[in-house]
Amino acid sequence: MTWIIKNEKPKIGVFSLTGCAGDQLMILNLEDTLIELLAKFDIKSFQEASSYSENTKLDIAFIEGSVSTDHDLKILKNIRENSSLLVAIGDCAINGCVQAMRNNQTSIAERMLDVYGVKDNVYNALEPKGVGEYVKVDAEIPGCPIEKEEVFNAFISLLNGDMPLIPDYPVCVECKLNGYPCVIIEESKPCLGPIITAGCDARCPGLGLDCIGCRGAIRGETNAKAELETLRKRGYNDKYIINRLRFFAGNFEDIKNLGVREASKGERDE
Amino acid sequence: MYKKLFKKHLENFISILSKFGVVYAPVKKASKLYDFTELTDFKELQLKYTRTMIPPKKFFLKPKEPLYLLNKDKGFKEIVDDSKTVLLGVHSCDINAINLLDRVYLNQFPDLFYKTRRDNTIIIGVSCEPDENCFCTSTGSSHALRGFDLFMHEVDDRYIIRVGSLKGFQIISECKNILADTSLPDIKEFKRVEAERIKRISLNLNVNGIQDILDLSHDHSAWQENADICFGCGTCNLVCPTCRCYDVVDYLKLDLKNGLRARRWDSCMLRQHALVAGGLNFRPTRVERLYNRFNCKMSFSEDSLNCVGCGRCTVYCPADINFVEVLNQVRED
Repeated sequence: MTWIIKNEKPKIGVFSLTGCAGDQLMILNLEDTLIELLAKFDIKSFQEASSYSENTKLDIAFIEGSVSTDHDLKILKNIRENSSLLVAIGDCAINGCVQAMRNNQTSIAERMLDVYGVKDNVYNALEPKGVGEYVKVDAEIPGCPIEKEEVFNAFISLLNGDMPLIPDYPVCVECKLNGYPCVIIEESKPCLGPIITAGCDARCPGLGLDCIGCRGAIRGETNAKAELETLRKRGYNDKYIINRLRFFAGNFEDIKNLGVREASKGERDE
Repeated sequence: MYKKLFKKHLENFISILSKFGVVYAPVKKASKLYDFTELTDFKELQLKYTRTMIPPKKFFLKPKEPLYLLNKDKGFKEIVDDSKTVLLGVHSCDINAINLLDRVYLNQFPDLFYKTRRDNTIIIGVSCEPDENCFCTSTGSSHALRGFDLFMHEVDDRYIIRVGSLKGFQIISECKNILADTSLPDIKEFKRVEAERIKRISLNLNVNGIQDILDLSHDHSAWQENADICFGCGTCNLVCPTCRCYDVVDYLKLDLKNGLRARRWDSCMLRQHALVAGGLNFRPTRVERLYNRFNCKMSFSEDSLNCVGCGRCTVYCPADINFVEVLNQVRED
C-alpha cells in the first residue's frame, strides 16, 4: 500500500479525542530519535507537545481517543475534511477500547447515574466508538498504548510513501518466535493471545502473564467463540471470560455477539 | 562405524564437543517445554526428553533474522552468521525434518543464510522418549539414516554412538580416551532397547493414499468443523519442524537511505500468508487455510512426506485440535 506525498515535509497534526493521551505520550517517548524524526514533518498541531496549533489543511492527521461525545464527533469530522490521510493511533481511536466495555449492556443514562449520580446526559455522551464508525480511516496503529517502535516505523513508512505495516496476526506468533512457554497449555491461564493483535513482542506472556488483550482483537479474524470454548475447558465461567474479552474489545462484532452480560445498576465486577 | 560411551563420561564428552562450537542442548523451561538452549551447566542437560516446543530448525532458519543491510546508493550487503554450533540431542524425527528443509534451502538456489549455518553446525542425534502424541513410525521418520554427524543410541548405562559424517569422525578421534568399541552384548542390548522404543510409539496415522483422500475431500465437513474451533493463530506451523515459510520486511532508518531487510517465520494459517500484490488473497478464509495446511503436511517433497509425526502441532494447539484425529475424521475409517 502506498500514498502520494504532496509535500516534501508532510503537514501533520496529532489530535486527541476521549482517552488518556497515552498514545501522544508514546510518540514523545521516542526520545532518542524524536527531534530528528519530527523535523521531517511540518507539525501544525500536537497538543501534548506544544500549545501551538494552526487550523489548516493537513497531509496526515493522527488521532487518538474514542468518539465519546458530540464534541468529539464535531472535531473528528472537521479533521477528516481537512486531511488527506487519517491515521487512528491506539485502541480508543480504533474501536473504543476500555470506554466501550459497557456498550450494548447499559444505557448512557444508567452510566451517567453510576458515575456522576445524575440521570441527564450533561456531557452529550455517545456510546464510545472508534473513529472508523464515523469517518474513513486510512491506517490504524493498534495498542493501549501504541508501541514506540511501531510508531517510529509507521512514521518512516509514511515519509517514504508507504502505508504503515501493522501485524495482522495474533500474539501467539510472537510467543513462538521468542520460544516462550504457552501460558494456556502450561498453566491453563486465561490468556487472550490467540485472538489479540501482535506487535508487543508477546511482552506479558514472556513474563509468564496471560494476555489481557490490550492491543485489541484482530478485525475480521477473531474467533471469539473459540476463545470462549478454550477457556471454558480450562475451568473459567462465561461471565468471567466475556467480561475479560469486553475489557478492551467490547465493540468487536464477534465479541459483542458472544452474549450480553446482565448488568444491574451499581454492580461491580471482581 | 559405532563406538561406545559410558554415561559417566558424558560431561567429559560434552567438554570435548565444545571445542567444535557452542553446545546447544535440550533444557527444561516449563512443565511441557523443553528448549534447545546454550548449555552452560551440565546439570541442566535433559537428554531424556519428549520434544522441544520450538524445533531445531530455529538454528538454520532463524525465527527472526536480519538478512541484508540496505543502502539506496550502494545496494545491499549480506549479514552472515558463521558461528560454530553443536546441536546435541536431536531426535530422529527432527533430523528427518532438517533433511526435508535441506531439500528446500540447499537446492539449486541455496539460501545463503541457511547454508552458512548448516555448514557450521554439528548435529548429534539421541534416542527419543516417545509419548502418546508421537506417530513417526507412520510417517517413516522414526529412524534417521543421514543428516547427522553422530547419533547417540541410549542403551542402559551407555550410548552406542553411530558416526554419520567426516566431522563426526573427527569428534570421535578427539574422544579416544572415553570411547570403547562395541561388543556383542552391546549389540544385543541395542536391539532390545530399539525394539522397545519403537513399541512405545503407539499412535498410528494411516498415510496410505492420503493424498488422494485429501484431494477428494475438499468439501468434507471436517474442515469447517475444525476451522470453527481454530484460532488461525499459526502455532501449529511455528512449532512444526518441517514448515519453512518466511515473510520478508524492510525497515528504513531515519535518513530514508539506509535500512535493513529482515525475515521471520511465517505461517499459512495467518491471514496475510496468501495475500499478494494488488490485494488478492488466495486463501481468505480460515477453512481454506486449514485445508491447505493439512494438504501441505500430507504431500511429498521428493518422495518424503512433509510431516515427521512429532506431534507438536497437537500438543501446542491452544484450541486442542488433534492433527491425527482430523485426518482420521476425513478418512472416515
